Order: sequence, then structure tokens, then C-alpha cells
Amino acid sequence: MVAPALVLIPVLVLLPGLVHGGGIDLLKEFLQAAITPSLDPLVLGSAVSGLGVTVGIALLGWAASALLGLALALASSRQVWSSCCGQTWPANFLRRLLAVPRSIHELLWGLLLLQLIGLQPAVAIAAIAIPYAALVARVLSDQIDALPSGALAALRCAGVAAPQALVTALGPPLLPGLLSYGGYRLECALRSATLLGVFGLGGLGTELKLCLQSLEFHELWTGLWLLLAVMLLLETGLAGLRRRWLMPRRLGLGGLTFTPLGPESGAGTRGMGQTARPDDLGRRGREMVLALVVLGPLLVWLARAMGVQPLALLHWQPLPNLGGSSWASVLALPWPQLVGSTLLLTLVAAGLAVGLAPLLLLVIAPWPWARPLLQLTWALARLWPPPLSALLLLLLLKPGLVTAALALGFHNLGILGRLLLEASDDYQAPAEIALQGAGVGPRLALFYGRFSGLARSYLAYGAYRSDVMLRESVVVGLVGAAGLGTQLLESLSSFAWDQLLGLLVVYALLTLVGEDLSDRARLQLLAPA
Amino acid sequence: MPVAPAREPVLPNPGPGVSSQELPWLELSQITVPGRGRPRLDRVSLAIGGGERVALLGPSGAGKSSLLAVANGQLKPSSGSLRWLGAPPARSGRARRRQQARIGTLWQDLRLIEELSVQQNLNSARLATWGWPRALLNLLWPLDTAANREALAQVDLGAELLGQPVSALSGGQRQRVAIARLLRQDPELLLADEPLASLDPRLASELLQLLLDQVTPRRALLLSLHRPDLLAGFDRAIGLRQGQVLFDQPASSIGPADLAALYDGELPGSGP
Amino acid sequence: MVLLPAALPGGNPGGPSLLPPARAEQPRSQAKPVLRIGAIPDQKPEKLNRLYPLVAAELERQLGVPVTYVPVVDYTAAVTAFRTGDLDLVWFGGLTGVQARLQKPGAQVLAQRDIDVAFHSIFIANTGSGLKQIRDVKGLTALKGKRFTFGSESSTSGRLMPQYFLAKGGVKLADFAGGAPGFSGSHDTTIALVQSGAYDAGVVNEQVWSTNLRDGRANRAKVVAIWRTPGYPDYHWIGQPNLDQRFGKGFSRKLQGAILSWRTSNPLQKQILTLFGAQQFSKATAASYKQIEQVGRQIGKIR
Repeated sequence: MVAPALVLIPVLVLLPGLVHGGGIDLLKEFLQAAITPSLDPLVLGSAVSGLGVTVGIALLGWAASALLGLALALASSRQVWSSCCGQTWPANFLRRLLAVPRSIHELLWGLLLLQLIGLQPAVAIAAIAIPYAALVARVLSDQIDALPSGALAALRCAGVAAPQALVTALGPPLLPGLLSYGGYRLECALRSATLLGVFGLGGLGTELKLCLQSLEFHELWTGLWLLLAVMLLLETGLAGLRRRWLMPRRLGLGGLTFTPLGPESGAGTRGMGQTARPDDLGRRGREMVLALVVLGPLLVWLARAMGVQPLALLHWQPLPNLGGSSWASVLALPWPQLVGSTLLLTLVAAGLAVGLAPLLLLVIAPWPWARPLLQLTWALARLWPPPLSALLLLLLLKPGLVTAALALGFHNLGILGRLLLEASDDYQAPAEIALQGAGVGPRLALFYGRFSGLARSYLAYGAYRSDVMLRESVVVGLVGAAGLGTQLLESLSSFAWDQLLGLLVVYALLTLVGEDLSDRARLQLLAPA
Repeated sequence: MPVAPAREPVLPNPGPGVSSQELPWLELSQITVPGRGRPRLDRVSLAIGGGERVALLGPSGAGKSSLLAVANGQLKPSSGSLRWLGAPPARSGRARRRQQARIGTLWQDLRLIEELSVQQNLNSARLATWGWPRALLNLLWPLDTAANREALAQVDLGAELLGQPVSALSGGQRQRVAIARLLRQDPELLLADEPLASLDPRLASELLQLLLDQVTPRRALLLSLHRPDLLAGFDRAIGLRQGQVLFDQPASSIGPADLAALYDGELPGSGP
Repeated sequence: MVLLPAALPGGNPGGPSLLPPARAEQPRSQAKPVLRIGAIPDQKPEKLNRLYPLVAAELERQLGVPVTYVPVVDYTAAVTAFRTGDLDLVWFGGLTGVQARLQKPGAQVLAQRDIDVAFHSIFIANTGSGLKQIRDVKGLTALKGKRFTFGSESSTSGRLMPQYFLAKGGVKLADFAGGAPGFSGSHDTTIALVQSGAYDAGVVNEQVWSTNLRDGRANRAKVVAIWRTPGYPDYHWIGQPNLDQRFGKGFSRKLQGAILSWRTSNPLQKQILTLFGAQQFSKATAASYKQIEQVGRQIGKIR
């Protein structure tokens, strides 16, 4: 489980060569500014309104992706098709088709749509909604198809029309997974909306980037602390809802399979009923409907306040034909090197993130006081868009692959670390207590007693996360010499559409292959030993 | 051995396949379902009339499940014809669903919706006649409490179970809830595929009695049975062997010779 | 809960945002059309937010049409926003201006500053880097193996022309430490980063450099100029081709005239010109930017 941290060794070996420490003074200033954020009403006001836009983009993008994703999930579910018309090929076909929007990172969607549609608030929302909808569709359709089909067949056999039968027989068992995954996607949407802002698609991300670029650290921290508050609020709120509606703890995360992370929590999925009080079932349903009823108008109001015009998305601005576009120039790009460094970047980042989370937990095991500190660090890592950490790292490190990998790894460490901590807290480990009773130190007890039980599901999630990191590697292209991402930004600023298209295709292919590999790895890890 | 309680004798059955009613509740003629090697059902013909309690006997693999699946419309035969209450399966989806709503099936695995309450499960039997709004409302609100209470009473369960999630019930309770769900559907043809297979003997005979009790002159029962020793309450028995009807005669007339021919001399589970 | 779009019509004290005000009622509506002006974000947002609202106010007074300033986050976005018609009048750099005109045929070059005819870039170095004054292009080889940063990827004075001169001096981008140069994003940032020592050297536009020296933000003890490039044409105002249709016949001329009429004798106009670092604006033509286009094509930023 800690094995992926082995990448630390080459990284640590390379690091001294990369450190220049030139910006140490700036970094000190940056850290000092954390405790003295600017409280100027103008700065605060601008950060709050930026945050409003970011939250608005996240909420609207998430809601659109949830609706669209649910519809697509039904349309790409074999069970739904076979129940409605006895055919499954349309489901299989749609599944393949949806792999394309899924394989392209939301940032790329944003930049593409920006070129095609112009500066529209709807662009950022669509950029989140398109890939997310395809992701939601895949996860949910897998889930629907994994549900036992008996009850559905029974209802159909008793003459119930397909839609009613589907809702009644599949709706309730699908609901916990749907809500849990939906909540997870909302957390992702907030991070994505911030990231889109960093690339100029509006909201707080834009201000963070500009503050960092003009080295106005006090203003930067004003925005960061606000964002952190909103993120933690959202995470706690969602966790609360999850508990209230008796959902499984979190999914098997990454949610391609919903096997809960901790083996113990597996009981929660099925056995919801065991703990439900008699009237809970209807009450939960009513609360959800109420939540939807409140959410609907809120979203409409938000969209109006932000001046979102969905129709603007249909108003395409043709790309100018700049001439001179030739496939030769696309082929002339150093593809093997670009692909190679992208893959290497992903591997190093994945190794860092997956390996460091348990390692850090082990290190702090004997000191209870270090836990909140670690949690705070991880929260900041999650919140902090990777391109911004990359820019910060440049104050200390030379540009290049390792620097980019550190930035990407740090961000994902925040996500993985939180997950591991949650799972580890949930996991009842008698072995650990036994070990401690036998006088084994806290670190070893944690390692042998608890981690051994969690390892498989954690690594399975790590495999999923690596696939996400491959997709995300584009966002640290800013650092330079970081593979496809760097080339993509360069081609974009040269308006070289042909190169851009070539890069997108290669990215899509890479992520599809990566997805397949990570799926296999996960299946293998989750398979009963 | 449970003994069928005294009740109004149903019209006697003069002979195989012939019902005294004008229209058979279920009529199969020359039904064939292909299988690997030999057909799963081979030119099977039978007819069941209202008020009849018919047991379907046969060794495993004889085609009992296939026959029931054809009877409830789940499985489409490659040849032969099927009639429900005198009418062939309708072509239009809506008319066909209306026909299927009159056929209730008790599944061996019950097929209750675990995540829903007893009440919601009972109501799911009414979905064929309910529109969208009620189907959705059922997931949120307790509907038709009085009717559900009555259905539970008929299977000797208390109304306090209505709000319980199905997953919290005991095995026996679940069986009874499944039967109560059938009662809520109020079908004219009751099909049951080995409902007693995995039950302990006491529970099995209680449940069988409960099912037999549900037969009224306007309702027929076809039940596949793996234990010929439980034949007592039935009016008729049909023996199925290698996809073909071996015998179809009054249950009381089944002798050890018939059973030996059916099971190749190896009688399955005749009691514990 | 206070959720407000970042850009409110009429003024935006915060940072740039993506939400162009009043686009909703823009196209083909009977409401009075709004002239939306923008600029490449080459300097600190704080300075841009001081300058361009002044420009908007002055143009509004002179032309009698509503004018708003729409901030954008990077150079590429400014070009895109011009192409998609989200900006009517933009202060472009040499390279971005050529890119914008190529993407929007018929776009009009309206004016440039006196200093833009022969603009210069300044190579700067951290005093601790050991870099000495450079006499000519050949001397740029001293930068090999140093940590070096440009400004924005699409900056003419912060990237395009410096890269051209570097190539002339025999320095490839891969020769810098780390195998690649940095892109700080803006001239102000380049100065701050080089001054802090995060980079050994960088290159900035001369006007921003002298402003930073004058107001003391560039500390001569820590950062010094090591070479001044030869001159080349740079910044200019570009307007949409359809301004006359939307705002009435002769509007482009009127707009050009308004910009050209700014003088230091008028207090408000003086403030604008000072922030621009110019004495006054003069007419400019597309032909002046041929050289930029050629270099752009050489380096691959124009295709």
C-alpha cells in the first residue's frame, strides 16, 4: 500500500538538482500572508462575488450534468433497453460513444467551447456538464446493470409498464449510490469550477490566478480562506446528508464500482433497512423531493443572476480558416516525447499521491495533535488548483516534469488522503487493537492491523485516481516541459487548430487506454482473494 | 400432512385438458420451447379452469419452470399457442399488459423490492393499473393503507409490518408478504414456481395451505411442486418428464406407479 | 447569501471576469448598443482596473455612446473575445493584434502610441545571478543554463521579439535551466520574479520597466537591465469591422479621432496618457506590423 511511495526515491534524488531556492523570500511572504489575509472591503467584496460565480458555475454545471447524466445512464443501460424493447445493442453503442466526451478534461472542453462560443457564462457550465454527464452516465448505467433484475422482471410480468416498473424496481436500490456519487460529483464540480477560473473562465479562480501572478499574497489568501470555508461547508453538508439519508459511506469511490472502501461498510449498502426505522423510507423520499423542490428554483434564480443563456451555446462562431494548416505540422510535433513525458508525469504524480497518503498517516500515528494539521493540509491541497501550486513551486524549483508532477500529486494527495482517513476511521480493526494490546507500537499496529484490511480497496481507488490524473495532467502544462499539456497551451495561443485537434485526439486515446488499464487493475484488486 | 379443509367441492374434472367452464383460464396447445439437445417443452397441451388447483410435478430439468414462464408470458414458445381466459396474447403492448395484470406469479426468490417498505411492495402489485403520478407517490407516501392491511390480515400478518422495510423481515414473513402482494394484484390465474423449495417442512405446509386457500371459483392455481407428498390439497396433478406431459389426472388418483414412472423410481424429498 | 455576477454593468472593482456585461441585450436589439473595450492583461490587474475605466469614461463623454470595460484573463482570451465579437475595441500587442486581424478580416488598426513605432524590450537579470551587461545579440549566449522567464506566451515585447533576438544570438529555448523558459504571465510579474531570485533573468517591455524603476518597485540593488533590444512596432488599438453598422456611419473615424485627440493639456486625458506611458496617440496602419507577422510566422505563433 505504501509501495507507490517508492517513486519518492527518484524524486528525492532529483530534487536537489531542481531546487534553486531563489524565491525563498517570496515563499516566506506567501506563507506569512496566510495569517494576515487582506480584509479590505473591496478585496473581500470582489472575492465574495468571485466565489459566488464559482459556486454558481459549479452548482449549475453539476445540476445539468446530473440531469443529463441520469438520462444518458438510462439510455445506455442494458437492463433498461432489454426491459423496454428487448434489445441491448443501442445501450452498447451509446456506451462507446460516451467514452469520447468523458475522455476529455473539463478544462479542454472549456477552452474549446470558449473558442467556438465566446465569452459566455454558459461556457464554463457546459464545460463541466459535458464530461461530467458522460462520467455520471457510465457510473450509473454500470450500477443499474449490476442490480438484480428479478424484481423488475416480476413487475413487468405482472403487466406493469416499463417506466413505472423501472422506477419502482430499480429506483430505490439505485438511490443510495446515485446520491452518494452525486454528492461526490458536486465536490468535484467545485474544484473544477475553480480550475476553470484559473484559465479565465470566470469566478474566484480567475482572481486567485491574477493575485498570484501579481504576487499579491494577502489578497490571494482572502480568496483561498473563503474558498476553503465553502469547500469544507459543502463537504460536511454532503456528509451529513449522506448520513441522514443512510447512504453508504462514500462509494468505492471514483465510483466506477460502488464497493465501499472499507469492507465493513459493505453491510451498509444492502442492509440499509436494518437500521431504518419504520417510517424512514417514506420520510427520506419526501425530504429528497423537498430538497429538489428547493434546489430547482434556486438554480433557475442563480442562472438568471449570472446571465446564463443556454441558447448562446447553440450560437457558434465559426473558427476562422487561418490557412497554412497542414497535417505535416501536426505530424512534426515530437509526439513520442510528448506522450512519454505525459505518462511519466502521471506515473510520478500518482505514485506520490497514492503512496504518500498512507505514509503520512503512519508517520503521524503516535501524535494525535498532528491529525487536524494533516487534515487542514489535505483540505488546502484539494482546494488549491494544481496550476497555482505549480506556479508557487516554480519559486523554489526549476520548471519541468518533476515540478509539474509534484503539483499534480499534491492536489490528488488531498483527495486521496481525506478518503483514506475517512475509510480508516470507519474501519473496525480488531487486529489493530489486538496488536496494540500485545505491545506493538502505534505505527506498526496501524500498518498491520488496519491498513492491511484497507489496502485492496484503497489501491483500487488509487488506480481510478491515476486515470483521473492522466486526464488532469493537461492542467499543469503551465509549468513548461510537461508533455501534451504544455504543447496544448502553446498551440492554443498560436491558434493552431490542426495541432490542437491532433493533441485532443491523442489525449482522448491516451485517457481511454488509461481508463481501460485502471479498470482492469481495479477489478483485479477488488476481486475476492 | 395438512389436510385440505372442507370446502365447497369445485366442479369435478372429467378428464385431462377438458374443463367444465366455457373458457379455460389457461390453455396451452402444442407448446414447444427449444433447448440444447432436446426441447425444453415438447408439444405440451393443457388447460386449467377457474377454481382449479393444479400441481405440476416432475424431476428437475423436466421443464416445469419453462412451462410456468410460458404461462405467465415471460417466455415465448417457438411454436404452439397460448390463450389466457380464451384470448391469445395481445399484440399491442397496452392490451398485453392488461392481460398480464390478471396473471399473478409467486416467484421462488419472491422478488420483493428490498429497499422498499412492506406497504410499498404491496402497492407495487397495483402499478399495472396505476398511472405515473400514483406510481411515484407510492415511493414517497403510504397509499391504500386499508387495502394493504386487509391483504396482510389474509396472510396472518399484523398491520404493524406495513411500515417495515422488507429487508428487515424474517423468512416466513417475507413469504407471506409475497403472497399478500399477489392478493393485492387480485389475479385470476395464480402461478407459483416451486414456492416451497427452500422452506422447512412446517413452514412449507403452512404456506401451501395459504396458497390453496386463495383459490376461488374465479381464480385458478398452477403450482410446481418438488414434493409429491404434498399433493393432498390439489384437484389435479400434471406430470412433466423430459418436456412432455406424462400424465394429467385428478390428484387423488396419482399412485406410486405414476410417480415411479415420473421420477425413474427415485422419489425426491418425501419429507425430512 | 450574496451571489453576484462578478461583472456588473458600469464598473467592476474586482478582478477580470468572463461575464461581459450587457451582452444579453446586445445583438440586434433596439436598446442603445454598448461599446465594449478591452485590453491584453499585460500588467497588474490593479493598474488595468485603474486605466481602462478612465478610458471608457473619456470615450463615453467624447462619443456619446455607453462604453464599458470588459477585463479578460489572458492574451489568448483577448484575441478570442475579439473574434467572437465580445469586444469592440481592444488594446492589443503587436502579435495579438496580428492574430486578431487574421482571425477577423476587416478589423481596423486605429491608433498606436508614439513609443510603439520603435518599441524596445529590456532583458533584466537578478544581481546575484552573475549576469553582466550585454553589448550585442551575440552576448545573449550568457543566458544559457540560467533560469529565464518570458512574460505571456503571446506577448510581443515579453516573448515574441525577445525569442527572435535570442535565436539570432544562438540561444534555443531548451538551453535554459530546466529545459524550458517560464511564462510569468505579465511584465510586472516578470520583474517581481527576477527581483526575488526565483528566476535569474527575464525580459520585459521597456515602458513597464521604466515605470517600475520610477515608482521604486524595481529595486536596482536586486534587479538590473542587461540589454535593450533594437526597436520594433508594438501595441495598437484595433476596432471591430462592423462598428459603423452598429453605431452609425462614420463611427470608426470618430472613434479614431477621439483617441488621437487626447492631449496632456487635458487633466483626465493626461492621466490616461501617463498610465499608457505615452505623450500622445498617432495613426497606425496594418502595414506597420508586417515585420511582427513575419517573426510570428517564423516562431510559429502565427500560421
